[in-house]
Amino acid sequence: MARIEEPQYDKNLSNNNNNNNPSSSSSSFDFLANLEKTLSYSIEKDVDYGYGKIDVIWHISLHPSLPSSKFGFIKIQSQGNDQEWKDNQYSLKKIEEALGRGIRSGCDKVFLVADNEEMAKSISGRIEWLSSFGSIVRFDAVSTSISPNQKKPSGSIPSQERVPEGEKIRQEEMREKEEKFDKYNRPKGERGEKESEEEKLEIEIQLDENSRPLGQKSKEYDV
Amino acid sequence: MNQNLDSSYSNERSQERRQIIETLKAPIIQMGKNVLGIEVTENYDQGAGPIDVLWTFKPGSEALPDIRIGFVCLSPITTEDYSESLVNEIIIKSMMNLIDKLVIVVPSENMTKKISDSIESMPNNSFLQLRKYVTVLTPSTLVPKTDILGPREKQNLQTLGRGEEEIE
Repeated sequence: MARIEEPQYDKNLSNNNNNNNPSSSSSSFDFLANLEKTLSYSIEKDVDYGYGKIDVIWHISLHPSLPSSKFGFIKIQSQGNDQEWKDNQYSLKKIEEALGRGIRSGCDKVFLVADNEEMAKSISGRIEWLSSFGSIVRFDAVSTSISPNQKKPSGSIPSQERVPEGEKIRQEEMREKEEKFDKYNRPKGERGEKESEEEKLEIEIQLDENSRPLGQKSKEYDV
Repeated sequence: MNQNLDSSYSNERSQERRQIIETLKAPIIQMGKNVLGIEVTENYDQGAGPIDVLWTFKPGSEALPDIRIGFVCLSPITTEDYSESLVNEIIIKSMMNLIDKLVIVVPSENMTKKISDSIESMPNNSFLQLRKYVTVLTPSTLVPKTDILGPREKQNLQTLGRGEEEIE
């Protein structure tokens, strides 16, 4: 089976760049159709199995002995709803309806095609959030959102992946803070009396800076 | 002027619908309150949208999980107005709200048939077997019919009657 070719993919993406308005909605499906040609999957357009229209369905057969997978692509339309454009997110009702349409139509994966990347991110985020409560179906495993000019997944990346050494960084920061605190928070008797007025002032400022919780750092001093 | 008329008309319609939904909800709430071990919640929402009535069945042991039955009421719609999108949205909404069983309450038998047919027609190979999850009924089906006997009860009565005759 033909694999995805990176240059072709980028070309398809660049053709659809900056298509952030609703009038360019048809181009999002050109992008899907073009991609299909390079992958040699069978494709169906504007399918309705009785539960609502699915804009594009890819039938992907990975191996002759394995059943083919059905990937459904549904365009979410704002239908002139200004509020949705202002908020850069679709109503939950619309997302749920599209999701239900794809699942009821027997799609193994449902991709919700949004107008722009921000909206796609918002849809994926909402699906992930609503699935995190512990429902019987992890909808985030079945569905995600994409936009025509998107180059990376719209779902949120777990912090372990985003910052692989996050724990170490945090520990280093804490150590540094503690060192500074120890340095500037010595009891008065231990402080050398040789310290000049300038040094004393700096110590006071540092002490003030480093003894406060993170969110309450003073912005008055410029050291 | 026309816009004002339109908005007042739509306001009236939505108020009418709300009233119908309230009348559909009333017997469900009442029934839930009468049944021991059931907690009734109105407009239950975990973030996915409101579920009109929720019955939470607490089995009595902390080791056993609560069972949530959600009721979503539909206002009357004509056959032309009916669309699958309505059912799609209700099903996903209730799943996301952690409902274990969904009951769609409709005002007429006609609508019951339409919705249950649509749910029954889902492919058998789909990972989601909605016929196991969704029940569609009218409020009259919910009300206990004290004088009407089911076939099994009828049979039981008949056998009981025969037994009494034999004893005599």
